Amino acid sequence: MSTQARSDTSAPVEVGQAMLSVRDLTVTFPSADGPIRAVNGMSFDVRPRERLGIVGESGSGKSVTAQALLGLTPRDHTTGSIVFEGEDLLTAPQDRLRALRGWDISYVFQDPLSALDPTRTVGHQVAQPLLLRRVPKKEAHRRAVEMLGEVGIPDPARRARNYPHQFSGGMRQRVMIAMALIGQPRLVIADEPTTALDVRVQAKIIDLLYRLTDEQGVAVVFITHDLGILAGLAERVIVMYAGRVMEECSTDELYYRSIHPYTLGLLESLSRISGPVPERLLTIGGGPPAPSRLPTGCPFHPRCQYVQPECRTTPPPLEVPPGGEHASACLRAAWLAERPGELR
Amino acid sequence: MTTPLLQVRGLVREFGHGPGLVRAVDDVSFDVMQGEALGLVGESGSGKSTTARCVLRLIEPTAGEVRLDGEDVLALGGPALRRLRSTAQLVFQDPYSSLNPRMTVADIIAEGIRIHRPRESSTTVKDEVVDLLELVGLRPDHLTRKPAAFSGGERQRIGIARALALKPKLLVCDEPVASLDVSIQAQILNLFADLRERLDLTLVYIAHDLSTVRHLCGRIAVMQDGKIREIGTREQIYEDPQHEYTRALMAAVPEPDPRSERAKLAARRSAQTTEAGRL
Ligand SMILES: Nc1ncnc2c1ncn2[C@@H]1O[C@H](COP(=O)(O)OP(=O)(O)OP(=O)(O)O)[C@@H](O)[C@H]1O
Ligand SMILES: Nc1ncnc2c1ncn2[C@@H]1O[C@H](COP(=O)(O)OP(=O)(O)O)[C@@H](O)[C@H]1O
Ligand code: SF4
Ligand SMILES: [Mg+2]
Ligand SMILES: [Mg+2]
Repeated sequence: MSTQARSDTSAPVEVGQAMLSVRDLTVTFPSADGPIRAVNGMSFDVRPRERLGIVGESGSGKSVTAQALLGLTPRDHTTGSIVFEGEDLLTAPQDRLRALRGWDISYVFQDPLSALDPTRTVGHQVAQPLLLRRVPKKEAHRRAVEMLGEVGIPDPARRARNYPHQFSGGMRQRVMIAMALIGQPRLVIADEPTTALDVRVQAKIIDLLYRLTDEQGVAVVFITHDLGILAGLAERVIVMYAGRVMEECSTDELYYRSIHPYTLGLLESLSRISGPVPERLLTIGGGPPAPSRLPTGCPFHPRCQYVQPECRTTPPPLEVPPGGEHASACLRAAWLAERPGELR
Repeated sequence: MTTPLLQVRGLVREFGHGPGLVRAVDDVSFDVMQGEALGLVGESGSGKSTTARCVLRLIEPTAGEVRLDGEDVLALGGPALRRLRSTAQLVFQDPYSSLNPRMTVADIIAEGIRIHRPRESSTTVKDEVVDLLELVGLRPDHLTRKPAAFSGGERQRIGIARALALKPKLLVCDEPVASLDVSIQAQILNLFADLRERLDLTLVYIAHDLSTVRHLCGRIAVMQDGKIREIGTREQIYEDPQHEYTRALMAAVPEPDPRSERAKLAARRSAQTTEAGRL
């Protein structure tokens, strides 16, 4: 693939150093029933070439976080900082954000039908990021066809002339990925890109994202509600609840040695295709809180089986507990760290 | 004892005509015994919902035979068909769109009882509604609320209570947990298991993945392109799948185990280097 001149104000980042640093991010929407606290102080880093997973139940603030990373949340309702390669996206001018989006930072959303324009050919839409950068039309089209081939669309030259409705759900998601990667971004935000798809198609999309990001050295933030999907793809995982980080660590640490009651509960309640069939699945009681009525103290306390009196009043900080290997926002993390991953 | 509660033979349903003809269900046969839970699994478009709708006669099959509780479902009309409709109930996939937003929970659940037993006293109906609510794990103070005030999992419980109000023998569940969070999915799956035990319910449980059915169903049918490719006990399907399609579905289910998932991903990658992945 040819290298393109890009809107380059940034120094190259060293491997290991963060390319994206999110600090104390909050997004609060005003409403008649009082403020909706969708994101409540998220802090995390993304390193170059990294595959980072963010997992959380519906309403935990995943999509709002993704929108914030792309500068798409209303500024007067967003606080904290989002520093991408040295530049704070929350204070950068709007035209600068437009220049970064789809080019340096690109995205794949859950529902490709609403993200694709039904009146334009697939080829045209995939070429769009290049056309916006004044790449000559012929060259942009050639690269779009090449990219459609890369993402596994058979007979790409012919299919580039089709419209989105002529593609199946899985093929449309491939088109979205082609669009996201054609500008050779350094960071891709993928918000539930496989949620509506059948398992076999889902596995192919995961393989594709893995291969392309691996080959092109792109970092991916993969957002999902399904812990199963992240196991093979992610190198590091952040567990979100009520707009906050509950646990953050390497993928193996999370699945084999979690020290947060919420993560342990999520892992427990997954139905699986192997191993013994339990009489009943173990469950987390209740449901996630409404962001307009967040509990005091630890947001998980109304559902937690390890709750103690102080959990109701003291919000647990996200930190590595004594004797632990990774960060957990739980007042009993040190106690759990004596038996990591065991309390399932 | 030995006659199945539900018998389906040679079921066919076609849509469209001429070159646009689709055989959504193509010669499907299966039995479900009283008290059994049968899983019907297949990918999108494989014909699961169409099969379910034919069995409940919400749509007319093109050909085939359906016997429920000894009766020939396709020959029924009028009052007999209404009776059938209370013997077999459908629980829908989408707990959002399947409940009338303007009705209270009490009215939604009572509606079916009133249609089928119009002369029932209102105190009896009310008592039954309260019992049903408790059965599915909701509280009496939920009765006066409208569906919008409930979470997805709670709405699915309301849908289940509504179906149970008619005292059905057979519950056909069309992907009842697909749109719910994992922690809520587990709660609803446990609820189905409880109900089956307590009410001796027979279940046909439709899903597009093989993991949720494994917890609930003793026997599983795998559908592809309108046909049942394989049907067998849980042990047969999960431990010794015979059909290539069953094996492919099984291999694609992601499990919360990084080591084995990475191994699967690597295996798929090396298999794909020879042939470009296709949908
Ligand atoms: N009313 C209809 N008119 C035309 N075609 C239909 C109709 N209903 C279903 N089909 C077609 O029949 C086939 C089977 O559909 P069905 O809804 O039974 O699939 P399914 O297995 O339930 O899939 P999903 O997992 O997506 O719900 C599909 O090809 C579908 O497009
Ligand atoms: N534009 C908005 N106005 C008001 N509330 C919103 C808006 N966008 C999202 N929310 C609320 O913020 C919370 C988090 O939403 P979201 O990030 O979409 O969750 P998810 O983790 O499912 O992606 C939800 O309660 C949602 O209803
Ligand atoms: S802080 Fe308390 S309530 Fe919160 S997860 Fe830990 S033990 Fe449970
Ligand atoms: Mg979302
Ligand atoms: Mg269906």
